[in-house]
Formats: sequence, structure tokens, C-alpha cells
Amino acid sequence: MQRYKLARYFTARDKSPYTRHFIYHFDLLRHLVWRDYTLRYKHSVLGMLWSLLLPLAQLLVLVFLFQAVVPLNIEAYPAFVFCAILPWGWFSSSLSTACGLFINNRDLVRHPSFAPASLAIINTLSNLIMFLVALPLLMIVLFAYRRAMTPALLLLPLLLLIQGVLTAGLSLIVATWNVFYRDVQHIVIVALTLLFYLTPVFYRPQAVAARYQIVYQLNPIAVLIKAYRAIFFEGTYPSVDSLLFAALASATIYALGYMVYNRQQHDIIDKI
Amino acid sequence: MGTVLSVESVSKRFQLYHNRPMTLKESAIRWLTGRHEMANAFWALRDVTFAVEQGQALGIIGHNGAGKSTMLRLLCGLGRPTSGRIRREGHASGLLDLGSGFHPDMTGRENIMTGGLLSGLSRREVLACEQEIIAFAELEEFIDEPVRTYSSGMYLRLAFATAMHFDPDVLIIDEVLAVGDARFQQKCLERLATFRATGKTLILTSHVPDQIRKLCDEVLVLEEGQVVMQGDPESALRCYEDLMRQRTERRAAQVFGAEAPPSLVIEQGSRQGTQEASIEAIRLANVHGEIVDSIQSGEGLIIELEYRFTRPMPDLILSLAIYNEAHIKCFETIIQSLRAVFGPLNERGRLVCRFPSLPLVAGHYYINPGLYPTDWSYVYDYHWQMHAVSIIGETDAISEVSGVAALHPTWSVDL
Repeated sequence: MQRYKLARYFTARDKSPYTRHFIYHFDLLRHLVWRDYTLRYKHSVLGMLWSLLLPLAQLLVLVFLFQAVVPLNIEAYPAFVFCAILPWGWFSSSLSTACGLFINNRDLVRHPSFAPASLAIINTLSNLIMFLVALPLLMIVLFAYRRAMTPALLLLPLLLLIQGVLTAGLSLIVATWNVFYRDVQHIVIVALTLLFYLTPVFYRPQAVAARYQIVYQLNPIAVLIKAYRAIFFEGTYPSVDSLLFAALASATIYALGYMVYNRQQHDIIDKI
Repeated sequence: MGTVLSVESVSKRFQLYHNRPMTLKESAIRWLTGRHEMANAFWALRDVTFAVEQGQALGIIGHNGAGKSTMLRLLCGLGRPTSGRIRREGHASGLLDLGSGFHPDMTGRENIMTGGLLSGLSRREVLACEQEIIAFAELEEFIDEPVRTYSSGMYLRLAFATAMHFDPDVLIIDEVLAVGDARFQQKCLERLATFRATGKTLILTSHVPDQIRKLCDEVLVLEEGQVVMQGDPESALRCYEDLMRQRTERRAAQVFGAEAPPSLVIEQGSRQGTQEASIEAIRLANVHGEIVDSIQSGEGLIIELEYRFTRPMPDLILSLAIYNEAHIKCFETIIQSLRAVFGPLNERGRLVCRFPSLPLVAGHYYINPGLYPTDWSYVYDYHWQMHAVSIIGETDAISEVSGVAALHPTWSVDL
């Protein structure tokens, strides 16, 4: 507790150590998430506007492709795609930036009182900002296509939490491995491309033959995307079973990620 | 007064291939061929044990590659010793290698915030002392520029100011005080003295004996990853200089031994000093500018001294002496202030000393140059009997001469 000594001196009059502790961690997390987010848009003219433009561009491509070129005949297709693009975008951008977590943040990793594992959480949160910035836009699109707003929307924080834990766990794994094998960053790109097609972002999983349904039941990100679509697009509650499975899978992957990181923790510092 | 840091028989091994990123293919090949991993192991530290009490200032000295930086990194909690244990109490702040403490794309101000929050302050508290830090670092104009645009001096100023103002219990400094101008160095030293006065613990490495003398009350000498001695600064510095001289002798034997003609290598000589300012090479030339190792007695000689400073030197003393094999000084010239004579010197250059004629009797002589601080308090670099020159006597002399000076008497008989 030595490190809070000076800090306590400043505000000892009005705050308990517990509050101090909380303020300290909150400030640190907020600063680092903000730092990560702004670093991504430093030296770009449009800056944070990219948070909106990127998912919009993706939306336009998919809508053109599957409404005009290969019609899938899904009603309110732009709304259907958009509510899946945002969580997918959060997942994939988090993982692709996660490869460089330890390598690109030497200043933090080498600070005596910083736990490098928190970088996975910081990165996940800073990518979540992109999602949150685009959320009002999603609401507008849903409203324009007259989708019903139901109390199921209140499940959003839970879905975000489950996905956040899943993303942070996977980030820890790829970030750790990438310190030792730079091949990992390329593998992640390929894997994400593949996963994009194995996740029902732009199509209905029901349209796929029954013997492949297992893919959508065992892939936690597919389960999550289906849940997002249920609360945003269909206005229904996702099944409890699927949410339980996703939560369990996320927790397991996070534990796994932390184990991978923990085993290599000290070698990471020697390597970067 | 408790023990703040204790290091118990710590060893650290590095794998040399760790210096470059390995690809999957390489490691697959390594695994398949069963090549033993320890083949390229390098021990940076071996069985190091020491303890630091609260309020103590410990200096760590040793030549480059002795394991100083590895030790400091382990003390900061970066990396884990291969064997042994390090215990640390309280919040440590480290000024390790320049270039890793700040994010290059963030501005100075943003980096101050990051550093402050990581040191356990809340946002409001960092904002409260931000102005003070900027003023101390003298970076008012540049604080909103990205750190990557800073010069190394500016970078150091910011790093030092940040580390000092966040009130660490233990401050760990790796050589960085060598950067920056003399005035700021002075300011840092004063700040460190106040830091120590408040009962905080300081650990530093430095190549500057004066800093070690002023700041430390205990010094550890490292050589090839092992503790050679631990003691008061004076005896530790003496021990370090001894080690330095031994190394120099070994080196001199390799370098000069190979170049000089065998007949001239009568005694290998020695070299001492801190090497902050050093004489890198000596060239002897005759009056026509041809490189020589022997001249005729009475002929002119040009001595070129190539020097190098590891940091800017405001002023220093130069001595140049000629000794014979019997260690008798034949001649010495001392310039008490190079600055007064030549003006400010570059960090690298060549000093040329011309003897229009060198009237010495035939024999082997040595050119012994030296560089010293203005108060002669210690030695930057001194070469003793390392650079030989042969003087060849005139063949038509009617008598045999010996001694030092070639005085050319003429003989006649008065009847």
C-alpha cells in the first residue's frame, strides 16, 4: 500500500482508502483505454469518424452484395446485417490489434507497477468504443425498418460482458504467442477471415444444412451474434441455454488465456 | 530502517538467439533436430547477493556488459531471475534505458499522465503536480509535442522529472544522468540529494566516479556478472580502476602486440583512467608526414593523438611525456587548459604535437600521453610505456654516447 501514500496525503480528509483505491483504478483504466483509442486515430484527418465509417462501409458492401448481386431474400436486410456487423467488428478488430499488445506497448509493459495482462482488457474496451459510437446509428437503422424495441434490449450489457471476457481471453493468447512467434499475427488474420464466414453475420444460420448446425452451436462468437440479432432485430430473448454456453465458454477461454500468459509472463519482458 | 531490497544468490541466463524474433519454422527445425537449447546460453549474472537498507544509496559499477543493466531491470521487477530470489518493498520507479519509458506517439503531457497514474496517483493529483514537472523539465514549449520528436536531452529531462515527482520509495537509475547538459545534471544531482535526505532509497549505475562519490554511500563492483566487492565508494572505485587496468592490459596486449614490430615490444606498458575522455590511437610520423616507428637522432617527430570524449568536456589537462626504457623522464609537456589554448574541443578529434628536432641518444623510448580533469583529481586516460619509438644514432660518431640528451660535442686536442 506504500504507493498510495502521497496520493492519500492529498485527499485524506474526504475519502476513505477504499474509495481512493477505486478512483485510482478507474482513472488508470480510463486513461489507458482513452490512450489506446486516440492512438489508433492519431495523424488521421477524419479521426474518430472512422469508428462510424468503417462499419458503414462494410454494411454497404454486404447490402449491395446480398440484396442486389446474390439476393438472400431476408426482409429488412440492412438492419439484419448491421446488428451483427457491430459485434463482429468489435471482436475482429480487438483480436487483430491484440497481436501487437505487448510489442507495441513497451513503455507500459516495462513499468514496474503495471500488470501487462490488463492490456488485453484495455484493448478490448478501447475497441468497444467503436461499437458504442455506432450504437445510436444502429438504433436509427432499426427504427427506420420499424423493428420492435422490446425489453430484450436490456440484455445488451450482459452480451457485451460475455463477449468482452471471450475477446480478452483470446487476446491474451495471441498477444503472448505473438511475442515469441511473429507468425501468429498472420495466422490471426487468416483465422478471422475464415471465422467471418463461419459466423452468421450476413446470412441466416437456419439456411444452412442441418448437419452443419453444430458449427453455430459450438462457436461461441456465432452464439453471441445470434443473441445480438435476437435482441436487436427480432425483439426476442435469446435462449438461456445458448447464453449459459457462451458464458461458460468465455470464462474457460479467459482462464486458458490467463494461464498461457502467466506461464510466459517473465519471458515476455526479456523478449521485448 | 528495514531492508527495502534483498537479492539472494540471483543468477540470470539469456539465450542468445532471443535477440531476434523466431518464426515457427525455425523453432520447428530446432525441435525436430533436437538441438540443445542451452548451447547459446549466456550468464549475465551469477550468484549475486546483496541487500539495500531503507535510506541507503547504492551504486553499481562495472565495465560495459558486466551485468549492471540486467541487475537493475531485475530490481525493477522486469523479468525473473533464472535462479535466486529478489524481494522488494514499496513502490519502485526506474529510469532505465532511454526510449522505453514513454510512448513515442503521445505528447509529453499525456505521458506524464500515464506515468503518474501508473505510480499510484489519481488523475486529479497528477494534474496538480503536472505544472511543476513541466517546469522542472524545462519543456514548457514542447510539452504538447509527441515525445518521438524530442532530443535525447529533452527525453531525459522529462523522464527524470516524472520519476522524481511521483514520490517513489525506491528510485533506480541506469546511467541516464550522463545525458543532458552540465547545468541540468547539476540540477538532477541536487534533486537526488533532497530525495535522499527524505530517507528514500536510491540505486544507480554510473560511469562518472564523481557522481558515485557524491551520491552513494555503498558501492557494488560487478565483473562478468559476479560481485567482485561491496564497500565504501573510494575502495570500490579503486577496485574498479584496478579491474579496468587489468582489462586494458589484456586488451593492449591483443591490439598493440599485434601491430607493433616485435623488437619494440619490450614492455607492454599499462593504461589507466576512467576513459570518459580517452586517447584512442597514437600515430608517430617523421617531418615528411610518413608514419614511422623509428627516427634518426636529432630528426623531427610528429605525434598525433586521436582522442574521444564520451560526454561533452568543458575543459581538461593534457600531458605528453617521453620516457626511456629505464623509466627516466626525458621530457614532459603539460597543457593546463586545452580550452584556453585550443578553444572548445569536439567530442572526437586529433591533437598534434610537433617536435622540430628530437635530440635524444639512440635507444628505445616511450611516448606517454595523459588526459586529466582540470583539478588533477583523477585520471581520464593515461598510457604508460605503451607507445614505443626507436631513436637511431648517427653512424659516423667518433665516440660512443649514452644518457638521454644527444648533445653532439666535438672533440679536439689542444697541444
